[in-house]
Amino acid sequence: MAVATRAKSSRKFWTKVTPYLLILPVVVYYAVFWLRPVFSTIVGSFRDASGAFTFENYLMVFTDPDFIPALRNTAILVVFSVTLEFLLALFLALLINRKFTGSAVFLFLAMIPMALPSVAVGAMWLTGLTSHGWINSLLYYLGVEQKIYWLAGSEWSLLALIIVIDAWTVIPSVMIILLAGLQNIPKEVEEAGYVFGGDYLTVLRKIIIPILNPTIQTAVILRLISAIQIWLVIVLLVGFSRLPVLVERIVYYHEEMSGLNISFQMASGYTIIVTAIVSIAALFYLRLSGAFGKSKEVR
Amino acid sequence: MVKKPVKFGKLIRRTIFYLFVTSLAVVILLPVYFLVSLSFLSTREAYAFPLPIAPALKIKYSMTHGERGYLLSVYDSFDGEYQTVLDTNELEKISEYMRYQLGAPMSIPEIEEQISVLESGTDPVEFSSRKNLWLNYSTFFKITRNALPALLRSLQIAAMTIIISIIIGGMAGYAFARYTFAGRDALKFSILFVRMFPGVAIALPMVIILANIGFYDRPIGLSLVYSIGSIALTIWITASIFLGIPVTLEEAAVVFGATKFQAFLRVTLPLALPGLAAAAMYTFLGAWNETVSAIILTQFNPTFSVVVYQSLLGSVGQVNLAAAGGLVMAFPSVVFTFFIRRYINQMWGGMTI
Repeated sequence: MAVATRAKSSRKFWTKVTPYLLILPVVVYYAVFWLRPVFSTIVGSFRDASGAFTFENYLMVFTDPDFIPALRNTAILVVFSVTLEFLLALFLALLINRKFTGSAVFLFLAMIPMALPSVAVGAMWLTGLTSHGWINSLLYYLGVEQKIYWLAGSEWSLLALIIVIDAWTVIPSVMIILLAGLQNIPKEVEEAGYVFGGDYLTVLRKIIIPILNPTIQTAVILRLISAIQIWLVIVLLVGFSRLPVLVERIVYYHEEMSGLNISFQMASGYTIIVTAIVSIAALFYLRLSGAFGKSKEVR
Repeated sequence: MVKKPVKFGKLIRRTIFYLFVTSLAVVILLPVYFLVSLSFLSTREAYAFPLPIAPALKIKYSMTHGERGYLLSVYDSFDGEYQTVLDTNELEKISEYMRYQLGAPMSIPEIEEQISVLESGTDPVEFSSRKNLWLNYSTFFKITRNALPALLRSLQIAAMTIIISIIIGGMAGYAFARYTFAGRDALKFSILFVRMFPGVAIALPMVIILANIGFYDRPIGLSLVYSIGSIALTIWITASIFLGIPVTLEEAAVVFGATKFQAFLRVTLPLALPGLAAAAMYTFLGAWNETVSAIILTQFNPTFSVVVYQSLLGSVGQVNLAAAGGLVMAFPSVVFTFFIRRYINQMWGGMTI
């Protein structure tokens, strides 16, 4: 009898402890390889060479002549590319919204741009946008004999170019996601809208968009987070410093300027700024996705 | 079989729809097509303007007597005529030109054979040789001397990242799917947060941490960094997989005398394998595609993506080789994406555990 109770209580003990044993490795891993480096960067950013408290590091970044342009360019990229991408993707998804022969193939093709490593995307557009690249060649075959010097333009035209490239990379994938959302909307719901006298735009605005809203919101923020971190295509196309953006500055100071004694501080400063911006966006995302709430009961 | 009559208007609408979808597919694939095509172009083709729409498969030559020796001309399909490229009496030079500029190697005896035809009175002599389409790929690995070791290193890093994330992430995923425990919500929240945390934020402080434990500029160092994001992802994928496998199956196994661990090993794990494979492929993609941390955390032992990045950055000279490197980079990503396309779409809809 006593043995049985002990066996029972020991089993109860193990059932209680098992989940903690299972999550222990993650907790330890994140403490060592995530929390510690993040913490040390934040603390380190408030210290000078002798270890005393200072705002010097931040001042150095804020007075960097490329800081304001980098911040501005990043903001423009994020705002314009994300807005443009979602409007166009939604438009395309609404146009395609039906089942059709070959849709499986089409949907996979649409995933390819997003799946490509950014180095490959860079290779694609670098070989395309040089003066004798494939884009000018294609235009030549179509009758435009004048070469266009895509990469020689002003900062604004380069920004526009990067937005277009990002749009090419992202729109197909966003379109698929919205398409999946659209196809989950029951037909009856839409039809009800028409029965009550709504036209297409009303149904779109009052029924379709609200139903899609959660999908759109989460996808927008995930896109926002990756748009903040665009840099590689820019550097491959126009090199460092011509179109400064925040993450590009980190690599610039760490790799190109690694000889300077301020370079590590500069790189850390930019790192913290990027981290802060992304973290705010991430918190917004988590709020929207309901991660702040209690989790559902486990079966 | 009776065919239903298709209405005319419907037919037109369907045609327009397919035209629309096809043109979208063309816009998506056009840059990809040109990168592929470029990687098969010879150096001579790659520097022509306009670029050929498709790589030549065969090079047509015409040879006659020139001022300095033999005058070699190459057929240009765009102009539709032969263009003189070389005037020399050194056969090695001709052979080298054919190999490196035209990508269609011919050995010296083969050239001598054509010359003897020329000498016997057929002037000019015309002949052709097949282009070696894969030449750019082999040249890329030959010229970029650290490319092959970097490729192997990238695979090694990906493999180690997969092992770390599947073990650590899989365990936690199981805990999330099967147990309710205190601190569950806090942990869930931090996992989601870590998932979105920019990788570059970890890379810089990691330089010092990895240097202290001797892992800087080594594959293990990078896989430790990549695991941070991919563990979070693996937890998410595995938790949803384990949730989908009824707990009653495990309970049944226990009733038949298995221990809980045996039940997991024999019943749940085999059922979860496809999902675990997806998580592994996802991890592979992350590790394979990543560039910024790799640039910061390596010095003499770069990953393949860094090598391709550097060859692109420095090589306005050799676009066809850079294209080949970029495609080697792209190939595994596209293949793995095909296998896990279902999960990728779910990711975007929002991550919940």
